[in-house]
Amino acid sequence: MTDATIAVEQGSGPMLGVAPGEDVLLDVRDLKTYFHVMDGTVKAVDGVSFSLRRGSSIGVVGESGSGKSVTALTMMRLLDIPPAEIVDGEIWFDGRELVAMSEEDIRHIRGKDMAMIFQEPLTALNPLFTVGNQIAEQIELHMKVKKREAWDRSIEMLKIVGMPNAEARVKQYPHEMSGGMRQRVMIAMAISCEPKLIIADEPTTALDVTIQAQIMELLKSIQQRTGASLMLITHDLGVIAEMVDDVIVMYAGQVVEQGHVDEVFLDPRAPYTEGLIRSIPSVVGRGRRLKAIRGTVPSPFNLPPACRFEPRCDYPWDLCRTSEPELYQVGAPERRARCHLYGPAGRGRRSPVVGTSSIEGETESTEAARPDSAQVFLKSEQALEDRRQ
Amino acid sequence: MTKYIIRRVIQAIPVLFGITVVVYAILLAAPGGPVQRFANNPRVTDTQRLAFIHRWGLDQPIPVQYCRWMGICNPDKDGLATFVSDQGLPNFLPTFLGGGDNGVLHGDLGVSIDTGQVVSDRIMASLLPTIILAGTALIVWVTFAILLGTLAALRPYSLFDQVLTIFTYVGFAMPTFWLGIMLIYTFSGPGLNILPAGGMTSPRISPPFGTNDYWAWFSAQPIKAILDLGRHLILPVTTLVVISIAGDSRFVRGSMMETLHMDYVRTAKAKGLKARTVTFKHAFRNAMLPFITNVALELPLLFTGAIVTETIFSWPGIGRLTIQSTNQFDYPMLMGILLIAAVATVFANLLADIAYAVVDPRIKY
Amino acid sequence: MQPYGEFEPARPAPLTEKVVEVAAIPVRQEEAGADYEVTLQSLNQWQLAWRKFKKHRLALIGLGILTCLLATAFVGPIVLPYDFASIPVPDQIVYQGRPPGLGHLFGETGGLQRDVLTLVVNGARLSLIIGFSSMMIGVFIGTIVGAIAGFLGGFLDNALMRIVDVMLSLPLLFVILVASRFFGNGSALLLILIFGFFSWMGVARLVRSLFLSLREQEFVEAARAVGVGNMRTIFRHILPNAVSPIVIVASLIMAGNIISEAFVSFLGFGVDSSTPTWGNILSNALTFIPLGNWWWPFFAGLAIILTVLSVNFIGDGLRDALDPRSRA
Repeated sequence: MTDATIAVEQGSGPMLGVAPGEDVLLDVRDLKTYFHVMDGTVKAVDGVSFSLRRGSSIGVVGESGSGKSVTALTMMRLLDIPPAEIVDGEIWFDGRELVAMSEEDIRHIRGKDMAMIFQEPLTALNPLFTVGNQIAEQIELHMKVKKREAWDRSIEMLKIVGMPNAEARVKQYPHEMSGGMRQRVMIAMAISCEPKLIIADEPTTALDVTIQAQIMELLKSIQQRTGASLMLITHDLGVIAEMVDDVIVMYAGQVVEQGHVDEVFLDPRAPYTEGLIRSIPSVVGRGRRLKAIRGTVPSPFNLPPACRFEPRCDYPWDLCRTSEPELYQVGAPERRARCHLYGPAGRGRRSPVVGTSSIEGETESTEAARPDSAQVFLKSEQALEDRRQ
Repeated sequence: MTKYIIRRVIQAIPVLFGITVVVYAILLAAPGGPVQRFANNPRVTDTQRLAFIHRWGLDQPIPVQYCRWMGICNPDKDGLATFVSDQGLPNFLPTFLGGGDNGVLHGDLGVSIDTGQVVSDRIMASLLPTIILAGTALIVWVTFAILLGTLAALRPYSLFDQVLTIFTYVGFAMPTFWLGIMLIYTFSGPGLNILPAGGMTSPRISPPFGTNDYWAWFSAQPIKAILDLGRHLILPVTTLVVISIAGDSRFVRGSMMETLHMDYVRTAKAKGLKARTVTFKHAFRNAMLPFITNVALELPLLFTGAIVTETIFSWPGIGRLTIQSTNQFDYPMLMGILLIAAVATVFANLLADIAYAVVDPRIKY
Repeated sequence: MQPYGEFEPARPAPLTEKVVEVAAIPVRQEEAGADYEVTLQSLNQWQLAWRKFKKHRLALIGLGILTCLLATAFVGPIVLPYDFASIPVPDQIVYQGRPPGLGHLFGETGGLQRDVLTLVVNGARLSLIIGFSSMMIGVFIGTIVGAIAGFLGGFLDNALMRIVDVMLSLPLLFVILVASRFFGNGSALLLILIFGFFSWMGVARLVRSLFLSLREQEFVEAARAVGVGNMRTIFRHILPNAVSPIVIVASLIMAGNIISEAFVSFLGFGVDSSTPTWGNILSNALTFIPLGNWWWPFFAGLAIILTVLSVNFIGDGLRDALDPRSRA
C-alpha cells in the first residue's frame, strides 16, 4: 500500500470508471456555482466533479439543498446570472466546453443534445398552449421541419411515452391531464429531438407512488432504446438503486461519495452515505428504533469550516474540525469518498467515539451502529454482516 | 360559451335594477328636489313652484315616481290602476304588446327639466364626442401601458425602469385636472401656442361638431377634418391617459416579471427556444391575462375621467353634460346619464369576465 | 488498486480516550451550523414591523414629508404674515397676479392678488382633514360590514355583498359629484360624510375575505371552545390579525379621498370657495391660466401630489413591514 492517496477534484484526472479511450459524453470538472443574495453568498455547488459515459446513467443523490438541482441547471446554463454566478469549473459535453460558451451556442444544445425533465409537470407546462403545440415547437426549431411534420412527430412521441389515445390527447391542455400524463408529456418533449443526455430532476417526486414506478420504467426503457445517457437527480435511494449504473452522493454543495451504485449502497464509505442508507426503515428491523442522522443540514451561510458533515458524523476526530477532507480514492479508481478516514492521516482508523461529536446526541450501542438497509436494494445483507465482523 | 354569456347577462339584471333604485334614491333624497333650481330666484312665486312640482309629478310619493320613471306605472292614472296601461294590459309590457309607452323599460328617459329636450336625444348627441375621446384614450392607454411595462420588465432595475417607477408614483399622486391645466398652460398658453385649448373643432375652419353642416364638411374634406380633430384630441387624451398609463405600466411590469420567473418559462428556455419566442410566446401571453381583466374593470374610470377633462377642454360630451345637469338640478337628465353609465359599467364587468374566459383555456364555463 | 485496510470493529472506546476527546472539543457551537443556542430577543409583531418599516427608504421619506405637511398645515397659518381671508391692498394692480418673488414665495393670485402660499397652507388643513376623516369613516363602516358578513356568513353575507356590488357598479365619481352637489351645500362636514359613505366598499370586501379565512383558523376554534361569545371573538381575536391589510388599504383610501376632494371642489361642488381647499384653489385659478398665471394652480397641485405621494410611500412601506413573509 502506498502512502499516496489521490485527490481528484482539481483539474483533470482519472474520471469515474473510465479507461483512456472510452467514450465520455459529459465531464464536469470542479464546478462552482455561488448565489449572491442579500444575506451573503450561498455556495450551492462547491467543487463538484463527475463524468458520464455515453449510454450509461448516473444518479445524483442528496437531501434538499445539497446542490443537486443547481448542478443540473448550471449544466444547462438555465440559472439567472445576476444572483447566480458560475465561479469556477468546466463542463465538457460532447467535446465542447459549456461554461464559457455563448448564449447563442448553448441554445442550440439545449433541447437538442441535452434535455431536461422537471419536477413539477403542472407548473412546468404552459397552461395556455396545447400539449401538442409545446412538443411541436421544439421539434420545429431543432429538427428544422414544417409545422405539419412536427405535429405528426409529436403525436409519435406521445405514443412512445405510452400516452393512451395520443391523437386526441395532443390537442389537450395541461390542466386537462393527470399528473402522470403530464410527466409523460414532459418526457415526450425531452426526447423529441433525440438528445444525447437526458437530465431528470426529481421526475417523480410530485407523483403518486404507483405512477412513480410507471414513469421510472418508462424512463429506463427510453434510455435503453435510444442509447442516450441519463442523469437522474433524486433524493429517493430506492429509485437510484434500480435505475442507474453510477451514483454520486452530494452534501452541502460537495460530492461526498461516488462510485458504482451497487458498491456505494452495499458498502458505503463516507459517513454521510452510511447514515443515509442506515436511516432507511428496514422490514427486517421491525421494532427497532429508526436511525436518523442526528442534527440538521447546515445553513448555507454558516457552513462548518472544515469537514461539512463533521457536526453530524459518528466518527469525528480533531482533524475533521481543522482540515477539509478531499475526495480520496477508496479501492477502485472510480470509487471515492470525502472523509479523512481514507486520507493519508486516517488509514485504518475508524474507531467511533461512541456516538458523540460536538453535538449532544444520543449515544448508540455498537450493535445499533451497524449499518442496516432495506431489502429492496440490498443484494445480500449477510454479505454485509460478514464484512463487518 | 353562449350559455355562459346568457347566464351572466341574466345575473346582471338584478344588479341593474338595484342600481336604478339606488340612483333614484340618492337623487330624490336630496333636500328639495328639482325645484331647487329656483331656490335663489326671487321672482318665482310659490304658486309657480307648486305648479312646477305638480307638472313634473314631483308631488307623488317617491316609489310612484320611481315606477313611473321605470315604466312600470302609467302616469295618466292614479291609485292601483296606475299599473295598467291605456290599453288595459300591465304597463311594463313592451308597447307593441299593449303595454305603456313611458319610462325606461320602453326607452323613454323623460324630458329635460332644464332645456325641455328629450333626454335620450340629448344623451345620444353627447355620446359620440365622448366615445371619440374615450376610444382614442383607450387605444393609447393600452398600447403604451403594454409597451412601457414590458420594456421595464425585460430590463428590470435599469435606468429606464427606475424612471418609469418614478413616473408611476408621481402619476398616481397627480389629479388629472391639474395635469390638464398645466398642459393647457404649456401648450396653449402664452408662450408655446401650438395646440388648441379646447373644443373639438377650430371655429375658423369648420362648423361645430355634430351639426349637419359639420357632417357635410366632413364628407367633403375628410382628411382635413380628421387632422383637425386629431389636433384637438392631443391634449385631452394625454390628460386622460397619463395617469392610467402610469398605473397600468407598473401592473404590466409586475405581471410580466412574475411570469418570467414561472416554471414553464424555464422549460421553454430548456427546450432551446429563441429568447424572443420564450418572452413573447410563452411569458407575454400569460402576463396579459390579468391585464385584460384590469383594463375592462378600469373602463368606467375613463368615463369618470372624461367628466373633468371635458370640462377643462370644453369637450361637448357626456361628462360636460353631467356637470351642466348637476348644476341645473336637471333630474331626468341626470337619471338618464347615471343609468347609461351604470349599464356601461355592468357591461364592462361582463366583458371582462367573458374576455378572460375566452383567452384562458383553464376557465370552465 | 489500494486494498481497503482492515478497520477495527466498532466497540466502545476506553473511557480515557473518550474523556480526552471530549476535552479536546472546543466549544464552537455556532460553527456547527446545527442545533446551537442563540439568545433570541423576542420582538412582538409591531416592533418587528417598525424595524422593517425603517428599512424602507421611500416610506421614511414619505413619513417625513407628511409630517412636514401636517406641521405646516397646523402651524403655518399662525406663522405666515398674511391671513387668507383678508384681501390685500397691493401697491400695484396686476390683474393676472405676480409670479413667485421675495414677498410672496408662491406668487400672488390673479384678480384679488392674494398670497398663494397662504392659500395653499390654509387649504392644507381642510384638505387633509377631509381626506383623513372620510377615510376613517369609510374604514369604520367597511370594517363593521365586512366583519359581520365574513363572520356570520349565510344570508346576511349574501345580502351585504349584493349591496356592495351595486354600490361598486355605480360610476363612483358621477355619484359623488351629484351627491356633493345635492347634499353638500358647500359644507366640509357634509363632504366628509359623503366621501366616507362612498369609500367603505373596498374595505368591506377586504375585511370580509380576511374574516372568512381567519374564521377557519384554529385559534378561533380554541376561543370558541373556551366559551368566548361572537362579538368578543370578532373584536379580541380576529380583528387584531386583520389590522395590517386594513391599514394598508386605509392609506390608499386616504390618498384617493384627497384627490376626490380636489376633484369635487374643482368642479365647484365641494367646499364653499370662501374657505380654501386645494381643490378650490385650482378651480379659482382656471380662468386665469390663459393669462399666463401658472403659479396659482401649480403650487396647490404640487401640494396635492406631495401629500398623495407620501401617503402612498407610507402605504408601500407598511405593506412590506406588515407582510409576515418579508425579512426584517
